[in-house]
Amino acid sequence: MTDSERLPLRWTLGLKILVALSVIGAVTIVYRFIVGLGPVTNLTDGYTWGFLTAVNKLTQIALAAGGFVMAGVIHIFGGHRLHGVARSAILAAFLGYLLFISALIVDLGRPWNLYWAIVSWNHYSPMFEVAWCVMMYSVVLLLEFTPVILERYRMTRTLKAFHDYVPYLIIAMLTFFTFVMTGSLLWTGAVFALTLLWEVLMRRGIMPRDHQMPLLLIMAGIMFSTLHQSTLGSLFLISDKLSPIWYSPLLPFIFFTSAVMVGPSMVVLERLLTTGIRRREPEIDVISSIARAMPYVIGFYLLVRVADLVFRGVVFEIVGITGQSAWFWLEMHLLVISLALYANLDSLPRKITLLLASLASVLAVVVHRVGVTMIGMSVPEYPRYVPHWLEYVMGIGLLAMGLLAYRLIVHFFPVYPESWSSHSSDQGASPTAALEPAASAVTSAPEV
Amino acid sequence: MSGLSRRDFFRTGGRLAAGLGASTGALTIIAPPTSAKERGTADSEALEQLAEKAAGQAALLYDATLCIGCRACELACNEKNQLGRTDDEIFAGRPAEDARALAPDVWTYVTFHQIEGDPSTASWGKVQCMHCIEPACVSSCPVVALEKTEEGPVIYNQYKCLGCRYCELACPFLVPRFEWETWNPYIRKCDMCYDRQQEGKPPACVEACPTGALLWGTREELLADAKARIEASPRTYVHHVYGEHEAGGTAFLHLAGRPFDELGYRRNLPLESYREYTKQSMLSVPYVLSTLALALGSVAWMVNRTKIGSEHGKSAEAGPAEGEKGGAA
Repeated sequence: MTDSERLPLRWTLGLKILVALSVIGAVTIVYRFIVGLGPVTNLTDGYTWGFLTAVNKLTQIALAAGGFVMAGVIHIFGGHRLHGVARSAILAAFLGYLLFISALIVDLGRPWNLYWAIVSWNHYSPMFEVAWCVMMYSVVLLLEFTPVILERYRMTRTLKAFHDYVPYLIIAMLTFFTFVMTGSLLWTGAVFALTLLWEVLMRRGIMPRDHQMPLLLIMAGIMFSTLHQSTLGSLFLISDKLSPIWYSPLLPFIFFTSAVMVGPSMVVLERLLTTGIRRREPEIDVISSIARAMPYVIGFYLLVRVADLVFRGVVFEIVGITGQSAWFWLEMHLLVISLALYANLDSLPRKITLLLASLASVLAVVVHRVGVTMIGMSVPEYPRYVPHWLEYVMGIGLLAMGLLAYRLIVHFFPVYPESWSSHSSDQGASPTAALEPAASAVTSAPEV
Repeated sequence: MSGLSRRDFFRTGGRLAAGLGASTGALTIIAPPTSAKERGTADSEALEQLAEKAAGQAALLYDATLCIGCRACELACNEKNQLGRTDDEIFAGRPAEDARALAPDVWTYVTFHQIEGDPSTASWGKVQCMHCIEPACVSSCPVVALEKTEEGPVIYNQYKCLGCRYCELACPFLVPRFEWETWNPYIRKCDMCYDRQQEGKPPACVEACPTGALLWGTREELLADAKARIEASPRTYVHHVYGEHEAGGTAFLHLAGRPFDELGYRRNLPLESYREYTKQSMLSVPYVLSTLALALGSVAWMVNRTKIGSEHGKSAEAGPAEGEKGGAA
């Protein structure tokens, strides 16, 4: 297909705004690397993590959870009918991780030393685990997106090699990761044996094989994500500066559950907001089948949060009238609103309800992460942290860069096969026919 | 159509719930045994082990009742570590009671405290790295830039530092300082003159102290000394050696004649090593990995057995794309 047949990339107002925000953000970031973090942030030695950490790192990663949740639902838990949303969810997750890394580079004092995380191991540090999970999962996401690139250039043979060799790469990654985290040969061997077992069973034809995506790749995505999401919560366990409203030994689990909760909402939101790009009405039935699971997921998360507060005996902290308790209630209200809207989908106008419901749960996670990183922290020795306006400029600039990258990638690669095929549906043998079921390119290759 | 999709949904939902349950099981072990709010419930056995570990390590003892606030220790520290402050700056100081006295170029600081209008409560205090036995900063540092040496001092390998500032978030004593005003920042804090100690010399601050308010020795000796002082003059001292058990115990021990919170010391710190708070979470990593590897593989097998099997059969007859299309529509 030539470029002229594709839907043109229109120079819309939205795109102009994104470019403007990106440029302003980029300039500020350059300035930050000249003068240091002090002049462009209000961070102090007491409040050492701020807006970039709360929004561009912690929230960003939670929102990227759509990638592993949808991949798991589709490829492991049998939700094949949702297959149409897998690609965009994976792309969103991948860009989410790239954005996280960008924000990390801006926020770290000495980002050029990042390679030490690979060389110098501290098994006791959650930050060490986070660093490794980010590296590993970014590779996994890139691999999960690779078929799209290979299809774009019709590299069928490479695609077959991809399916043949990626599982071994994954086994190696998981095994090495286990060794890095534990330093124990026993554990390393166990993980190696388990993952190799599945692959052998699949190659022998004893266990069914997923022809769209290597099973081990999906599994690795879920494993790294689970650890990463929960460990971002563990980071705060060592700090004694966090209010009891948020400090809980369950923080890792709460971070993980909230990410699982917000992942599908992000997919719903993305489906609804990209109808313009894709030039078609949102697939309400697919979205609705995701949405129908949401009341249970949000309900479970709410239950965990409330039970956590009750069992730790901090109910009185949240009924006091303080900024912190108000912030907590804001989150609870957003969750309840989201739950109520998702649960009453049938009796309300669909599109707007879905939009508001998904937006509410996304915001609830933003509020939670900001609560943990900024609102809940108190170091009485230091003046309260309020972000510098340039922190917003950098954070929002980075987000704009991410959205811009997303817009360009969906233009040049078949993330949304439907928007690619609309102009060439008459050419039966065009590559777009192969794009619709992602599997066909692979399955048409002779079986091993 | 809608009935079918609903059934499909519930089937998927049920599997999702089962999967969530499995990962929940794996994840609950992430939770550490005690919350930070149950502090003071110290495990005395663990504390003894920590004390034993540190018994022969280098330590410092500060006796606030002997301190005359002459700032000789600060001058010596400034000179030895080439922190670049002038003597005038040091003597002008900051508001002496400011608990934020430490800075990238201030690694030790003598504070002054008194209850307003009551000069009899006047006392000096000292802010400096506590060199914990199991430091939160060392536990949190992802690249071992901060390191607890065999000899006792907590040192900083600046060539490894990422500047993530997690050590600042973790430190219960608010000690590490970050250089905010430069593009090439480091973390700065006292290293107990590790290089001098290697040569057998005491830290600069101890050597400079004219009254013996600062002492250098092994932790065991100094702890015994501190307790003996309290016993010898029980009316002079608060009956508490700050640092004996705080945050699992520190190598910098403090004695004072006024309650420590009056002197700006952080109070009610947990009596266990901060490493314990994230330890469980880190130990659970291989359990989560192997549980998930087992569970996800099994679920994928069970769930996809019929589906992919039938698709496989179909694709053999009707061509590859057909089977999947039928499933997806």
